Amino acid sequence: MELTDERRTEVYESLLLTRRFEEAVLEAYESGGVPELPHLSIGQEAVGVGATYALEEDDWIAPSLRTRAPILMRVPLEEVVAGMYGTRSGPSEGRTTQHHMGSTERAILGTTGMVGSHLNVAVGAGLSSRQLGNDRVSTVFFGDGATTRGEFHTALNYAAVEDLPVVFVIENNGWTEETPIGQVAAVEEDLIEFAGHDLPSSVVDGQDADEVIAATAEAAERARAGDGPTLLEMKTYRYRPHAEVIPERRDEAEIERWKARDPVTIYRDRLLEEGIVDEGWLEDADASIRADVEAAFQFAREDPLPPEEAMYQVYADVEVDRDGGVVR
Amino acid sequence: MSELTVRESINQALAEELERDERVFLYGEDVADYGGLYQVTAGLQERFGEERVFDTPLSETTLGGTAVGAALTGTRPVVEIMFGDFLAIVADHLTNYAAKMHFNYGDGTSVPLVVRTNYGAGDQFGLHHSQSPIAWFQNVPGIKLVAPSTPHDYKGLLKAAIRDDDPVIFLENKLRYETEGEVPNGGYTVPLCRSDRKREGEDVTVVAIGGMVDVALAAADRLATEGIDVEVIDPRTVVPLDKEPIFDSVRKTHRLVVVHEAATFGGFGGEIAAEVAEEALFHLDAPIERVGAPFTPVPFAENLEEAYLPDEDDVIAAVRNTLGE
Repeated sequence: MELTDERRTEVYESLLLTRRFEEAVLEAYESGGVPELPHLSIGQEAVGVGATYALEEDDWIAPSLRTRAPILMRVPLEEVVAGMYGTRSGPSEGRTTQHHMGSTERAILGTTGMVGSHLNVAVGAGLSSRQLGNDRVSTVFFGDGATTRGEFHTALNYAAVEDLPVVFVIENNGWTEETPIGQVAAVEEDLIEFAGHDLPSSVVDGQDADEVIAATAEAAERARAGDGPTLLEMKTYRYRPHAEVIPERRDEAEIERWKARDPVTIYRDRLLEEGIVDEGWLEDADASIRADVEAAFQFAREDPLPPEEAMYQVYADVEVDRDGGVVR
Repeated sequence: MSELTVRESINQALAEELERDERVFLYGEDVADYGGLYQVTAGLQERFGEERVFDTPLSETTLGGTAVGAALTGTRPVVEIMFGDFLAIVADHLTNYAAKMHFNYGDGTSVPLVVRTNYGAGDQFGLHHSQSPIAWFQNVPGIKLVAPSTPHDYKGLLKAAIRDDDPVIFLENKLRYETEGEVPNGGYTVPLCRSDRKREGEDVTVVAIGGMVDVALAAADRLATEGIDVEVIDPRTVVPLDKEPIFDSVRKTHRLVVVHEAATFGGFGGEIAAEVAEEALFHLDAPIERVGAPFTPVPFAENLEEAYLPDEDDVIAAVRNTLGE
């Protein structure tokens, strides 16, 4: 997949937006200002950004709890931030946090708090594409820990058996919450060894957005051609703990080693080297993104909490009272 | 009108909905070429092709997850889960996903899937192939639980469930696939979320669910010979519940018996009893009676299973208790 210079600057802007957004979340959380517990993806941005850029706008995306980039790329910033505050303008009027949000118009599949339970759901979206005869690809992101769940194996098996248009993206950051993945996964080196199913798989440098784009584009093309699913293992790292309530227990040297391969820095340096942007453009882009993020937080802080009626949206096809009784 | 079995009614409902709406598809373990363990889907793959009716791996996890994903993205999957006991495996996708996505999305998106499964003790299939799983899901807002009792209702309710925009667990009593009854010719639906009075009576209200409706009606016929006039209410959709017809009936008869197959403790009967106690306590002339199974797994041995499963005599005894006999 060849990207124009303009598209590549957009990739960089998405990387930087994800980074600045999450830095702002952390800052707000540490000052007691955000009710949603942050599960930050700082350090992993290239996976979500690159994969989303390789897809069509109407291709389904099922994010993991840490796949922030696709949500930021498809949903207005104010709405996402309001979703963290549980205010009226959030994606579901405060009924849920933004990191489980679903939106049919933006082709984002809602998720749950059960890690990995969205894998077969994403396969189901691929099944819909087949049944309806459209060519929408379904891409699902999940952490390394999800590969030790039965859900992973059943989803891979069914997608492969039926040749469904699904791209499986492991965001392998090496840690299953507070446990190294190597300690709980019986593989020699890579999690794709787990697959053993009849489907193509590969390991990708998840810190390099261009590598992620190339691998995902190839997988999406295969899916669209009717040749079935692909399993991609993106090697990456999160700079923050699993969630912000958990104290950091990882080796400082390990964190520093990964920070030396920072996905935002790698892309910025490449754009500079290739003469696509200059320092002035970079400064302007950063200032503009910081201003957008600040404005979105300001908007959310002033946004009112939802009215109580917002809660009573349980059934689509029948009216019920607050005690579950059918209203005739 | 035709005389059809429950099995034929369900098969017709599936065929008519597959014919009517190309977004509907049917899948599950052994449902296609083989026609399903209970042969409920026999002939449907032959008629509608492998694209509309197909087999899956032996993975309820895959069935549950893919059905949610398909329903979220524009199709209307009908899943067969071979035994209701296996709903425990699909429970994550049903309770955490299907039930909650309309609430979780903010754009009107819903999860129009139907999970067909069976339940019912009485055939010595043992403790893992006989349970009645209603109570497992009755406390989950967002799920609809449908348990029909007659061939007419099986067909009409299943067609309505497939057209409904919410996730429906459709519970088939596996002891009654051969039960026959009058079914209108041609397409009709029976609305979800509407209780039905199966027998009119003045003396005692019996609310019975699924397979227990037959039992309650047989008990009512025997009591009628003694001049005891029993009214039988069949909720049909258990959750969300159409409560008013139950309250109205209790206000008329002043006595309530609730009958279901699962254990009495923690069962749906307790919920109906509590609702009536809140809404119509001073209309009652006698304590509410609950008829259900003892608080044990479904036992295997013939005599144990017989003792486990509520029957006509249990219903009659409960009715007599409410009459102070």
